[in-house]
Amino acid sequence: MISMRALVSRSAPLLACLGLLGIWQIGALILNTDSFPTALDAIRAIPSILGDKESLINILASLRRMAIGFSLAVAVSIPLGLMMGRSRGVASFFNPLLMVIYPVPKAALMPIIMLWLGVGDLAKTLVIFLGVSLPVIYHSFQGAKAVEEKMLWSGAAMGLSATQRMMRIVLPAALPEILTGCRTGLVLALITMVTSEMIARQSGAGNILFNALDMGQYDAVYAMIIIIGAMGIGLDAAFEKLRGKLVRWSEPGFDIPLSFA
Amino acid sequence: MNPRAVTSDVLLGIVPIALSVALWQAIVSFGYAPATLLPPPGLVFMRLAQQLTTSGFQQEIAATLFRLFAGFSIAVIFGVSIGLAAAASPGVNAVVRPIVRVLAPLPKVALYPALLLLLGFGHESKITLVAADALFPILLSTYYGASMVEQKLIWSAMAAGTPRGQILLKVVLPAAVPSILTGCRIGLVISCIVVFLAEMITSTDGLGHLLVTAARTFQAVDMFVPLITISLLGLILNGLLQAVRSYLLRGFPEV
Repeated sequence: MISMRALVSRSAPLLACLGLLGIWQIGALILNTDSFPTALDAIRAIPSILGDKESLINILASLRRMAIGFSLAVAVSIPLGLMMGRSRGVASFFNPLLMVIYPVPKAALMPIIMLWLGVGDLAKTLVIFLGVSLPVIYHSFQGAKAVEEKMLWSGAAMGLSATQRMMRIVLPAALPEILTGCRTGLVLALITMVTSEMIARQSGAGNILFNALDMGQYDAVYAMIIIIGAMGIGLDAAFEKLRGKLVRWSEPGFDIPLSFA
Repeated sequence: MNPRAVTSDVLLGIVPIALSVALWQAIVSFGYAPATLLPPPGLVFMRLAQQLTTSGFQQEIAATLFRLFAGFSIAVIFGVSIGLAAAASPGVNAVVRPIVRVLAPLPKVALYPALLLLLGFGHESKITLVAADALFPILLSTYYGASMVEQKLIWSAMAAGTPRGQILLKVVLPAAVPSILTGCRIGLVISCIVVFLAEMITSTDGLGHLLVTAARTFQAVDMFVPLITISLLGLILNGLLQAVRSYLLRGFPEV
């Protein structure tokens, strides 16, 4: 039997969604301009987008790029971050480079990468890869740095080799922090995906959004915003479930992602 | 850390940057990439130095900086006050928390078309986007910082006769400053990135616009210049924030 309290706290995000949509609806009714349709109008436009075969293929292609870019970035960044966390030399080798790259908007590299690789999937996936890797590296680095030395010493005393220590002590100990980084990275992958498609206007969800804006189909613009927003919230919630399963033993530090653009 | 270790760290850190510039130069000079696609680094930095002295380029930087600071300041004001309010009052917390949970993972860039339609193509839409993106890290770290304040500090202040209303400003806020500054640092990087993207998507001035115009005319050199400029701006602003941090936290133990 679920208690009343748990029920309220579980449905709170849903209530918040409804509340925000309600504010939108009222605001649109008050402003009453063409360029700001009501929430209901926007929601009504969603089925026509998702029902259209071409846009659906576009959105799925976006998601596929995002999944590939995200997985590659995670696969490369976690080992790098862990090594940076355990070795001061590696850390001071990579840190300044990462600091220089950090404030550069990854999606802004799109025009240059397009020059080299064309406008295809490769360029967009590469940009997503770049965008995701920095927070994952950073969080893995922080997580690995905070591992208690004594555990490593005990491991070494029991005859674990350096790689075994990395896999069996550092990785699990840093996992909560790594997953925080992955969560940030996930939101970021979505952001980079949309922006890269806004810049290389050829296919994908971001392209549908801005084409609708250019053609003045305002309902479709807002419907697309809802779809992309729902993807963000849905992916985040799914990841949070997964994280809860993987690291049930650790207390969540931040239960809300600190998103990076 | 002794100064010698710091110097060797710095030297070690310069190596990969120098290596990447060298690799860049090598790719160009061995002819793997034509100069129209990848201009030699010397040319790019020369161009940057030359551009920095022209008033046109300075105006573009000023436009970008204005939007960046306006958005960032709004984010700091709202983030810190909402974060403090949520930490102080359970009622506010119950309202703010679910809303933040929904809005934080939302890709804010997707809202940009809506902002364009509502606020027009000028400064307002870009400033709002920057503020919306930088708000959440600042809000969240303020909230966590303020809710982690040791209860004993509050009790002592109350025992010493601080009025309830002032505890928030005199005890909780200063104790949360390290955490708030961490949030500000993330928010600042985000502001740099977002302002640039917004200018790339639709703008008539600013660094992002420079990149887009260069891309349309295939001027590879001019495409690198705004990117390097935004990276430098990010580094400088980060350095300034570090200075503010060490000034504000001069009495704190090492954090």
